[in-house]
Amino acid sequence: MGSIESEDSCSTSAFMELAIQEAKNALERLEVPVGCVIVENKKVIASGSNRTNETRNATRHAEMEAIDSLLQQWQQDGLSQSDLAKRFSKCVLYVTCEPCIMCAAALSYVGIKEVYYGCANDKFGGCGSILSLHNTSSEYSNLVEGKGYKCTGGILASEAVSLFQTFYERGNPKAPKPHRTVVQS
Amino acid sequence: MVNSNWEIIHIPGKPSYPPTQQPTVSVFASVIDPKLANTLVRKLNNIAPLENLRHVKRVRKSCVDGKTQLSVILCLTDENGTDLDSMAIDLLELTTCYQLSPFVTQVCKYAAITKEEWEEQGKLWPTSFHPPTYNIDGITGFSEEDSKVVFDYMNFVLKLAKSAGCQLVNAAVIVDPSVNQIITSACDEISSWNVNLDDNEVRSLGTNEASISHSVANGSSSSMFNLDGSPDDPQASCSRISCLNPWQLPPPSSSTSCFWHPLRHAAMVAIEYSASRDRRLYPSMGETDERSIQLDSNGTSTVGFPAKRQKTNLPNVNNTDDPPADRVLSKSERPYLCTGYDIYLAWEPCAMCAMALVHQRVRRIFYAFPNPNAGALGSVYRLQGEKSLNHHYAVFQVKLHDEESMAVTNDGIVK
Ligand SMILES: [Zn+2]
Ligand SMILES: [Zn+2]
Repeated sequence: MGSIESEDSCSTSAFMELAIQEAKNALERLEVPVGCVIVENKKVIASGSNRTNETRNATRHAEMEAIDSLLQQWQQDGLSQSDLAKRFSKCVLYVTCEPCIMCAAALSYVGIKEVYYGCANDKFGGCGSILSLHNTSSEYSNLVEGKGYKCTGGILASEAVSLFQTFYERGNPKAPKPHRTVVQS
Repeated sequence: MVNSNWEIIHIPGKPSYPPTQQPTVSVFASVIDPKLANTLVRKLNNIAPLENLRHVKRVRKSCVDGKTQLSVILCLTDENGTDLDSMAIDLLELTTCYQLSPFVTQVCKYAAITKEEWEEQGKLWPTSFHPPTYNIDGITGFSEEDSKVVFDYMNFVLKLAKSAGCQLVNAAVIVDPSVNQIITSACDEISSWNVNLDDNEVRSLGTNEASISHSVANGSSSSMFNLDGSPDDPQASCSRISCLNPWQLPPPSSSTSCFWHPLRHAAMVAIEYSASRDRRLYPSMGETDERSIQLDSNGTSTVGFPAKRQKTNLPNVNNTDDPPADRVLSKSERPYLCTGYDIYLAWEPCAMCAMALVHQRVRRIFYAFPNPNAGALGSVYRLQGEKSLNHHYAVFQVKLHDEESMAVTNDGIVK
């Protein structure tokens, strides 16, 4: 059994490496370095990285980019609504930073199966740090009928953090001058 | 006046209670030897920081039989009971080591917003008082003129919410209040998302919606809804309002040109439109380019208008974008994201939309109807009260007080 576990954790970090590569691409484009991949049946089927500066739309986080590209792909393939929902329920997201409240909610709305993230997001995190939107048995469960998903943090966290450090040492060029923006993921 | 039955209510960052009935939580505390106070507080802050009770003072000074007595908070009690064994191991060790005798007491759960609240809190256990630093002008009251503007925009957004026929949708209007101008408007696009739209098409889509509704923008729209947001027309359905039912699959659409996009809630779409408008108005924003920008003949601008534009122009997006031809914009005039803008929504936004509005730096949010299923501005969550966020907006409900609606059943919004 041990070998299966280690194989799993091996593929977990392999997929996270791909997410980190996406984050590095974002960094090169002077974006907040967050990246992600979406995996179905052990295959990467979509990827995304932060595009908030380029689009001037602060909601264009890596997760939203990846979800949009999947929806576009699948609908061009002619999948029906219920097919789409079924496919999402088999998908696993690997993202370098804990999804923010917005993305954590979005992931629950599309009905993702599972999320692995790198570093925690102390300011905006929606998967445990500030709110627990992945967790349907939270204190709000009697109010919220949403879909939960399994969520595991701390995968290659230090690599994700060092990308942020590089970014903030350079400064966010698009933020208003007096103060810098904080992590937007 | 048409809107005299409406009321603007501030929705604060924490639930509001009478000062004497503020919610409390139970903690373990212990009387300590004043000489040990510094040591103990340092150790406790280390092993048991009061994460969610930062307003509560760790130490209480009281006077017993003429002598000063110090008590210190050890930790929160666990949810189910006040069993000492529920304390963490290192806390138990500390308790034994310093021969503390823990007792259970109550402290106020939320930081005081007013001085009155703070004074009441101190009767239980001392707290610190920092009036909220993120207060935004306009919280403390709207002039009659300001209210009129708010009601007009709310009217407009409610018409949009109804514009899709018998299916009600959520609708959003982003406004620049400094020039009293609509930046963009949008409805839910959960079932009508078109993957092939480019920026320009997206733009005209938004514009069309606004223009269509313009024709009916002069009457009151409150008559179309009951007090709780359910439609007057029994045929109308709330099942497709994005933020109310974010986990629900919409009924399959008959048209093949229609796509399903579960995240295209009105507020998200409006943010996208306003961002694309920004890129259109200020196309080249190089980091080092400090030159001012000369608009071309089709160029558009939000700045430089007489400050008081008349409400009759309001929804006419085509015209309001036209600047004087020779208008020169300096880079500094370009707003950063939606800084300084207001958004009007028919329904209280869900967590995704509410957080998106934090990211996009919206200044104020006005909504007409609460969202008991999934609302994130007071109903289920209360993002405006999450101190850790890097931006805070002020939230208002524009409440309909239509006497005819008072008789309506109160069985929730979704019928
Ligand atoms: Zn996010
Ligand atoms: Zn929403």
